[in-house]
Amino acid sequence: MKRENIKVAILRIEGTNCEEESYLAFKRLGADAEKIHLKQLLGNGINPDERRELEDYHMIMIPGGFSAGDYVRAGILFAARLKSAFKEQLIDFADSGKPILGVCNGFQVLVEMGFLPAFDREITDIPQAALTTNDSNKFECRPSLLSVEDNTKCVFTRKFKKGEKVLFPSAHAEGKFLVKDDDHLEKLKDDGQIVFRYTTPNGTRPGYPWNPNGSLDDIAGICNPQGNVLGLMPHPERVFYDFTDPDWTRKKRSENRGDGKLLFESVLEYVEDEF
Amino acid sequence: MEYYIRKDVPFELHEVNILDADEQDLESISRESGIGLSKGEMKMVKKYFKDLGRNPTDLELEAIGQAWSEHCCYKSSKCILKDTVFDIDAPQNIYVIEEDAGVVEFDDDHAYVVALESHNHPSAIEPYGGAATGIGGIVRDVVCMGAQPLAFVDPLFFGPLDLPESDIPQGTKHPRYLFDGVVKGIRDYGNRLGIPTLAGMVYFDHSYTSNCLVNVGCVGIAKKDELIRSRVKESGDVFIMAGGRTGRDGIHGVTFASDELHEESEEEDIGAVQLGDPITKEPLIHVSLELNRAGLLQGMKDFGGGGLSCVAGEMSLAAGYGAEIQLDKVPLKEEDMAPWEIWVSESQERMMYAVKPENVDEVLRRCEKWDVEATVIGRVIEEPNIKVYFDNIMIMNLDLEFQTGGPSYCRPVEIIDKTKNITEKEPEEPDNHNKILLEMLSRNNINSKEWVIRQYDHEVRANTVLKPLQGVIGKEGPGDAAVIKPLEHSFKGIAITTDVNPRMVYLHPYKGAMATLDESIRNLVAVGAMPHSFADCLNFGNPEKPKRLGDFEQTAKGLEKIARHLNISFVSGNVSFYNETKQGSIKPTPSILACGLIEDVREAVTMDIKGIGNTLYLIGKTKDEMGGSEYYEMMDAESPRVPEVKIELLSSSIEDMLSAHSNKLTKSCHDISSGGIAVAISEMCIAGDIGAEITIEDEIRGDKYLFSESNTRWLVEVDEENEEEFEKCFSVPVRKIGKTGGKRLIIDYNSKKLIDVSIESLRDKWKNSLGNKMG
Repeated sequence: MKRENIKVAILRIEGTNCEEESYLAFKRLGADAEKIHLKQLLGNGINPDERRELEDYHMIMIPGGFSAGDYVRAGILFAARLKSAFKEQLIDFADSGKPILGVCNGFQVLVEMGFLPAFDREITDIPQAALTTNDSNKFECRPSLLSVEDNTKCVFTRKFKKGEKVLFPSAHAEGKFLVKDDDHLEKLKDDGQIVFRYTTPNGTRPGYPWNPNGSLDDIAGICNPQGNVLGLMPHPERVFYDFTDPDWTRKKRSENRGDGKLLFESVLEYVEDEF
Repeated sequence: MEYYIRKDVPFELHEVNILDADEQDLESISRESGIGLSKGEMKMVKKYFKDLGRNPTDLELEAIGQAWSEHCCYKSSKCILKDTVFDIDAPQNIYVIEEDAGVVEFDDDHAYVVALESHNHPSAIEPYGGAATGIGGIVRDVVCMGAQPLAFVDPLFFGPLDLPESDIPQGTKHPRYLFDGVVKGIRDYGNRLGIPTLAGMVYFDHSYTSNCLVNVGCVGIAKKDELIRSRVKESGDVFIMAGGRTGRDGIHGVTFASDELHEESEEEDIGAVQLGDPITKEPLIHVSLELNRAGLLQGMKDFGGGGLSCVAGEMSLAAGYGAEIQLDKVPLKEEDMAPWEIWVSESQERMMYAVKPENVDEVLRRCEKWDVEATVIGRVIEEPNIKVYFDNIMIMNLDLEFQTGGPSYCRPVEIIDKTKNITEKEPEEPDNHNKILLEMLSRNNINSKEWVIRQYDHEVRANTVLKPLQGVIGKEGPGDAAVIKPLEHSFKGIAITTDVNPRMVYLHPYKGAMATLDESIRNLVAVGAMPHSFADCLNFGNPEKPKRLGDFEQTAKGLEKIARHLNISFVSGNVSFYNETKQGSIKPTPSILACGLIEDVREAVTMDIKGIGNTLYLIGKTKDEMGGSEYYEMMDAESPRVPEVKIELLSSSIEDMLSAHSNKLTKSCHDISSGGIAVAISEMCIAGDIGAEITIEDEIRGDKYLFSESNTRWLVEVDEENEEEFEKCFSVPVRKIGKTGGKRLIIDYNSKKLIDVSIESLRDKWKNSLGNKMG
């Protein structure tokens, strides 16, 4: 399908706060992105012309922020609200191969909803992973160097080179990725679900702060076994342009291209090809 | 005598018997009710009601108390400010001083909006909530102009972190606890709102031990044709109150802010601290901006100090109208509140919209869509009175001009030149300058504030081009100013910095204020931005003491001197008096939020050394003027010579530096401030992970040369082949001082090697000293 016909739903509730830059990332690449409040899907308290249906979209993004305040467990309230109203629709959405992206708080929401890691393609009611409080016990806003671990299965990284290093900013207090045991970690590896790992400038195993939260196996982002649902803690939309890179003044620059842009290009090309 | 007579109505209402009150009674009434009016002011109130032939209700008296508080009506400062920093007529001014925030031209179609405020007293009692609601308050000031908030700034001031418990006065919290709580409060509120915190400063000094300062600022952007005023438009406009409910939190906040803190402040005034809820605020921002963009609002004002009492009155009076309010309609957090409490509550997250009757339904509907509670509570009337009803019973009817106007005093001023009583007490010349430099870098007023900065999201909205920390990833140094790119389709940017040098202002308010403004200008110019507007938050002691007001006046004159010469306005600001306890006054602290404009953010320059073999230049002149310097403080030395600003030199330097920038001749640039040249060059090396070899000859003593804080100076890194072209840009003193390269900082002064330290050691001291203390 044509780029301009790709409809991207940027979902939000109160406390979502990265919707504008997420929306712009798709918009700048020519997609038909739209910020949609959950109430527009639920249909209460809105005008008929503001009403939206999930099935009309080709892609969903759940952006960063502090949905509903994140006073309980990060992402859990947004996840509960989505699941209670749209669980089946969302499962169908994902099963049809349409991409779902969760960044930061969005990643937390996808994990709480059971859409990630979705071992054996099963969306479970009880989360199979957790994004828990950073080891530093603080909010950490700092650039994260990531290595691209998969560029075949995941539809968001196909235009990256495998092993390529990218710099995405992290900004979260609850980003420590955990699964319950080694078996689950092995499963993630075996099924090629690990998409981004934290790394260092010389490629060594990162301690703090290169791994800003203490994530298991330095995991920064994972996809589902099918590769069309991706969650990651660092923010690709914040480095769409290179002049928002943390160290752009030290780099040779070209065409304002930031490290994050490729992620959005990858997924839009996937949708163009598949739908 | 019984002052309060219960009225026979089905809710709590009293008549206050001031008609029968003598002077002593009047004072008692003011004290007991907590409204904080002086005897003279109470007499004015009595006269007003005597002419009306009746006593006031408790609500009416409270309303007057709020409006006449120092915090609301600037009664002690107006007299000085209007002769100094007000009325600088810069061409970029749009709304200056007259609104809750300053509005300044950004480009042909857009304006940026600046607000800066203090939240000192609440933060001294409850640091987390006080600081959080400070952020909540300042963002509303920007939103109510119709602007999208872009950035927060927060200059903070505390007592020394290592103060022994035994030195903490009764009723005061430890500086470490306050610092930690304030940072968490700003973090949890600011991060949740999704507005980046981009600049600020943290300063430690004994004078803030019992009265910390929390200043918060916000910068936003608006289309010029979407700017909205904090005033109604016409009679019949409907008042809609939106956002959080009204509760007992934040009662008497303004009167609390208009008195000195004392031992029992916590117990007596904890109710003056508001409770913040950013997740109510976040949709409130969205809906307020949406309503304004849709042209549904006549006026909009945020609920700040004084609550509904101030909002309804000020919005109406500004347009020459009056208001009628149905107080029982206000949604409450707790049911049994007395009318006067509802009237003056400063509960957070509330906005007032003035709406045309035909648009009311649409406004209410859009609020509901965002889950924002909104209620019609009154309307605008022709008669310039404020009339309040509860259950259809009139409980207030005041002439707005009288209520809102408030007194103004030209209080006595005594000017003390402290430097006259100081004789130069030099430190002994050190034999190990390396050790001194490392010690300087680890001092809390110089070391890295990374522990603070990284707890704030400074990248959300993806507009942050220059971050607060700059340089090699993982090895960053302190940026001079942050730069944001506010518009999607323009590369034009705003540079933001906050500065003040309290020690210099304390020693010599006039020179210190000039040094403060000079520093903020240096920071903007360092990144390549043209200074464009100032906001000032003037934190001082008790203005009823002539010496304190003398400091205030001299400070205002110092600020004015530079600003008027450069023709840059103070577009917004705030005066916070009574920062004083039994232990004494804070050091006078005029925090400055300065904004500059840069035509293309991609040309902004950071402070980290970029390459090997480049030439380092020093712009400006280094003098033996060590008064108020960090070095003298550390060495327990004293000097009456506070660094001076030569105004002509400053304006030429701005021009020359910006011409070097615009000719793309600057690879890195750093302003020289606290800790002098030695600290500035160390920071550049730390951030670029590249060393430098410096050779200087001059007349003053080596240690003074290294650590002097003379004004109007920068360090610049220039490509060797551009030397000639670079030097041509300068009419002001420019001197080649060395080369970049290696992994050490080496400084040769008058043929003696004073400094020779590895970058690693410099970084270790600078980067980790504060974090290690705070965990």
